[in-house]
Amino acid sequence: MSPSTWSTTHASPSLKASDGRPPVSRAFAVIAVLLAAAIGVQVVRDRGWQPYQPESAILWLRSGGAAKRLALGFDMIVSDVYWIRTVIYYGGRRRVETRRTYDELFPLLDLATSLDPQFKVAYRFGALFLSEPPPGGPGRPDQAIALLERGVEQDGDWEYYEDIGFVHYWWKHDYVGAAEWFRKAATRPGAPSWLTGLAATTLAVGGSRESSRQLWTELLNGADASYIQGQAKHRLLQLDAMDAIDQLSASLQRFRDREGRMPRTWQELVTAERLPGVPVDPAGVPFVVDGVTGTIDVSKQSPLWPLPAEPKVGR
Amino acid sequence: MPAIETEGLTKDYLVGFWRPRPYRALDALTLSVEAGEVFGFLGPNGAGKSTTLKLLMQLIFPTRGSARILGSPVGDVSVRRRIGFLAENPYYYDYLTAEELLTYFARLFGYSSSDARTRVARVLDDVGLGRERRLRLRQFSKGMVQRVGLAQALLNDPEVVFLDEPMSGLDPLGRRAVRDLILSLRARGCTVFFSSHILSDAEALCDRVAIVAQGKLVAAGRLDELLAFELQGWELVMSGVPAALHAQLASRFAKVTPLSHDRVTVTLPAEAEPDRVMAALSADGARIESLNPIRHTLEDLFLQRVRESQPRDIGV
Amino acid sequence: MRQIWLGANAVFRESVRDRVPYSIVVFAVLMIGVSYLISQLTAGQDMKIIKDLGLAALSMFGLLIAIFIGVGLVTKEVEKRSVYGLLTKPLSRAQFLLGKYAGLVMTLAVNLSVMTVALYAVLLYSTYNAPAGLRASWEAPGADPHMLIAIVLIFSELMIVTALALFFSTFSSPLWATLLTLGLWVAGHFNSDLRNFGAVVDSAPAIWLARVIYYVIPNLAPFDVKAEVVHGVHVAARHVALTLAYAALYISILLTASVTIFRRRDFK
Repeated sequence: MSPSTWSTTHASPSLKASDGRPPVSRAFAVIAVLLAAAIGVQVVRDRGWQPYQPESAILWLRSGGAAKRLALGFDMIVSDVYWIRTVIYYGGRRRVETRRTYDELFPLLDLATSLDPQFKVAYRFGALFLSEPPPGGPGRPDQAIALLERGVEQDGDWEYYEDIGFVHYWWKHDYVGAAEWFRKAATRPGAPSWLTGLAATTLAVGGSRESSRQLWTELLNGADASYIQGQAKHRLLQLDAMDAIDQLSASLQRFRDREGRMPRTWQELVTAERLPGVPVDPAGVPFVVDGVTGTIDVSKQSPLWPLPAEPKVGR
Repeated sequence: MPAIETEGLTKDYLVGFWRPRPYRALDALTLSVEAGEVFGFLGPNGAGKSTTLKLLMQLIFPTRGSARILGSPVGDVSVRRRIGFLAENPYYYDYLTAEELLTYFARLFGYSSSDARTRVARVLDDVGLGRERRLRLRQFSKGMVQRVGLAQALLNDPEVVFLDEPMSGLDPLGRRAVRDLILSLRARGCTVFFSSHILSDAEALCDRVAIVAQGKLVAAGRLDELLAFELQGWELVMSGVPAALHAQLASRFAKVTPLSHDRVTVTLPAEAEPDRVMAALSADGARIESLNPIRHTLEDLFLQRVRESQPRDIGV
Repeated sequence: MRQIWLGANAVFRESVRDRVPYSIVVFAVLMIGVSYLISQLTAGQDMKIIKDLGLAALSMFGLLIAIFIGVGLVTKEVEKRSVYGLLTKPLSRAQFLLGKYAGLVMTLAVNLSVMTVALYAVLLYSTYNAPAGLRASWEAPGADPHMLIAIVLIFSELMIVTALALFFSTFSSPLWATLLTLGLWVAGHFNSDLRNFGAVVDSAPAIWLARVIYYVIPNLAPFDVKAEVVHGVHVAARHVALTLAYAALYISILLTASVTIFRRRDFK
């Protein structure tokens, strides 16, 4: 420790010029070096390390009731914490290639909505992503419906009814059930007028691409969260791709009828049928054809892969 | 080489939350204290005495100026081996006993455990706490804590001792003890620098004093120099002066105050020559009890200088 | 160095006279009570729960000691002015502060050691009482020496927390120092989530900010290997070594900053 020699004749390099306090510049330099070293160590260590996720992850609380009791009045904040963890959990899981189980998704959402029963975003997130089949989600529409039913119980907002109907429609292919829920949704206060029409359409031509398209479009326009909009856009593009595939299939069939074989390249088909160009899907990736069966699909490289399953009922 | 010297020592504090303004607690203090002196640093409350002591101990940092102790700048940690310090209203760890506390400090000075033991015993006896050495400080009275403070200031046989209000909290016995202690320190050649607002102590003990008021130095120098030219008059106590003579005395001299029996106090102005008066009065049959010069006391000087330093518009 | 050692001793003595007995007793009673209850209720899961609870209790108690004593170390002395007696001795401010830190680390070490002994005692007792077939089904041995790895990492994490408490107490009031330390501890545990922020959020400035925060805030999640140890999963020596190195570096940063601030303070 150097004695701090101070007098008016010394210009000490401290923050206040004539203060006589020990200078800080050296300390800053030392701290900067140490911080750089610490960051370096972290980077090296992190290369071989992921936080350990035990097979059955330990969520200490599994019951919403217990969580409510323990939150001691801070329900809203704890609910927010669970929500943040949900988002990060889901995002983290999607990133990890090797293991894509989403076992904790429902409990996390369950906790978040138990603590804040009017957490609309959480319910709707659950509706979308709990239903989604692997690798994008756990493929549990029943969990989604269970979650939404609590929303219905607590809040009764028309959006929850619509979402339940949606899950029935899109994931369970239960068009009668979906139409029923859409009808119920239409009776709720504040419900938009198109819901009645949607109920009717679903009942009549459930499974048709038009009703699907209408559903997703409404969702896109009414969504209040960007990821819901993202999903809706994604689905609409997939529907467009399916439309394009139908037209391409027709062209392909015409070619086969005429030539008696499959075209060897896309270019051949383009020339023969006078198509505008090599067919690309709405994401800009060229379609692929299965040489044996002749079915056209989006490329596995495309962000639109896999296309949703579509039963041919009602077409 | 002076034991203590300061040059232009200034301390500003920033006061106020929204727009802090500097409050000058000490303004360009320049003084020096020679080795072996007992130096009294006097002033009313809030004058800057504690600020000065803290600057000397580098508990706070000056805004401007410098100070040296035993030739080294005040920041020098090694100089602290040769000095002692007693804070105002000191507080030490109350879960320790007096002995434990002093032993801890002694070890900090670098003494071995056996050395420390002897020293601790000695200083505790010096300040009169020999019997209470094993009691926890929690159980000490204010005066006892003050004495512990003195003890820890003397552990290392310092060359310079700094005392901030050493008499505060002590009863007359305690104050007498401290006075004797300071005198014995001077006898040992130790420099004593103490701050006080009790002037009688300063008068009795100090070789030199400095008076500060409102952060400024308003007087400094040897006591006898400061007060030398302040002779006010003479006080003559006589007995055997019959009452009849009082009026006559009064007409010739400034003041006559009768005391018990037939004793009077005659107050003569400074110009008067007391021996002639005494001779004249004895001739009349009076007996002289005592003759004392009325000096300007330190208190008078103090009040005068402090009042001078105060801004006009504050009525005191 | 001697001065630092003296200071450390003083802190240690103070804490021994005050707190250590209580925390030991509470912990021991808690452990014994829980293990007894568990053995009556469940079959097979009791080991895991004892280990989980034991390590968690070690962590919690250690955290409480680190924060509350750590904050009080400096603030109490400054408030009560006992700091005057020390700083006027041949003791530099840096030595004073480091002595305080060393003393608290010693206290923590002693506390944790005693709690570790108690934990192992309970585990040995439970292991002894469990039938051989049950023992074979455990993922990790009862009195598993690997738990010491977790405990060592907990200890080094607490050393960081102590340094944090010390750092904040050099310039703020006890209340603020406590809140800030606690807040950073919480943030430090969520920190690893920030690392994967890029997967979840699209905005580039947010990702960049998250990265900066991740590296600057103490990253405490890697110190938590309780889950691995309890499940008998191997913890790489590399991980432990690098994490300890990180702790040492981070503590050095905090102590340097603390000393710098402390050296520039006015003690009115």
